[in-house]
Amino acid sequence: MIQVKDLHKSFGKLEVLKGINANIEEKEVVCVIGPSGSGKSTFLRCLNLLEEVTSGEVIIDGENLTDPKIDINSIRSRVGMVFQHFNLFPHMTVLDNITLGPRKIKKMSKSEAEAAALPLLEKVGLSDKASVYPDSLSGGQKQRVAIARALAMEPKVMLFDEPTSALDPELVGDVLEVMQDLAKEGMTMVVVTHEMGFAKEVGNRVLFMDEGIVMEEGSPQQIFDNPQNSRTQSFLSKVL
Amino acid sequence: MEALLNSDYMKPMPYLLEGLLYTLLITFVGLFFGFVIGAIMGFGRLSKNKLIYGLSSIYVEIIRGTPLLAQILFIYFGLSQLLDINMHKLVAAILAIALNAGAYIAEIVRGAVHSVDKGQMEAGRSIGLTKTQTMRYIIWPQAFKRMIPPLGNQFVISLKDTSLFSAIAVGEMVYQAKTYYATTFTPFETLSMVCLLYLVITIPTSLYLRRIERRLDV
Repeated sequence: MIQVKDLHKSFGKLEVLKGINANIEEKEVVCVIGPSGSGKSTFLRCLNLLEEVTSGEVIIDGENLTDPKIDINSIRSRVGMVFQHFNLFPHMTVLDNITLGPRKIKKMSKSEAEAAALPLLEKVGLSDKASVYPDSLSGGQKQRVAIARALAMEPKVMLFDEPTSALDPELVGDVLEVMQDLAKEGMTMVVVTHEMGFAKEVGNRVLFMDEGIVMEEGSPQQIFDNPQNSRTQSFLSKVL
Repeated sequence: MEALLNSDYMKPMPYLLEGLLYTLLITFVGLFFGFVIGAIMGFGRLSKNKLIYGLSSIYVEIIRGTPLLAQILFIYFGLSQLLDINMHKLVAAILAIALNAGAYIAEIVRGAVHSVDKGQMEAGRSIGLTKTQTMRYIIWPQAFKRMIPPLGNQFVISLKDTSLFSAIAVGEMVYQAKTYYATTFTPFETLSMVCLLYLVITIPTSLYLRRIERRLDV
């Protein structure tokens, strides 16, 4: 589903990604862990070109994102993204947040888009919040709306950039539960996270990143129970 | 009552109210075009294109760095000479307000658009909207809300600025007052009424703006 080949990304003179190779299969849930500053968020943001790629290739669903002729908007509409700080549209109701994409990009009518949005709201457990503004929601609720908004475009892949890092601890569970349900339904997911429990239970594979490269990768059991790389060992000893 | 109506304070009122009409006409029409110019130049100031950014910056800096009176004289006399035309006074006045307010509005637009969280653009792009669509449906509505208080402020400033058009004999309020008291020798009474008429517009506007501002805060 996603192939990343020798991906480099520099901000000015600072090289953040120093050659990433990764292969993400359909229906796979890949968790990316690592210390802050390791480049894991940048890596995720390169997967829908929110960051321009310096060199290397990112191929999603057979289309090469680094090809200058590619229609990036069409790719982005098939790759859902969930941000650490939700980034809901504060001037729109929850329902309008979710239907904006389908209406403007898929050219659905308002009623069509709303009919499609309601089951999504139900899925994230917020059916009663359709007509409220994001302001009145808790962080956890906001993030679930953000997930519904991304799902409304019927993406083939969902990218999560530290989706629970900005949440109060007691609100993390609801969001992780929604993500777990998504994983069970067979959604292909790439999750940058600090939730080691989630990575262990839901992830099919874990990438440990440090200093702009993938230091170690493997099944959650391999990474968490028997890490080979000394960096992985020292990172896990600090967070577990 | 009779005495009040016939007082030296009330006698200039018909002339002043006629002037007020011009004052309001120039302000509203001038600001309408000023907003169009300001929006274009404001986006120019946000542009990554160096030429567009440079041109809009030069415009903003020239207007903000020179006095309005000089701009008015330049447009009315200078441009008329250069283009060898006989510019209508009212056209010159509206053009001057539009160009002058446009520069300040450009900065208002730039600041408001810039103040919208970067994550909003990313969220819009990530669901597949183009840059233009994201600007139109997501950034602009939020930015516009933030522009309302400073735009109202600019309205008050431009309204007062129209008094400078007395220099080119546009029949706005101050000019009307000057021609009136030149024959009646009652400048104190006349100008008191002029100030009062300005305040009747500016004070309620300011109060209303403060209310909007408070409401936008929450």
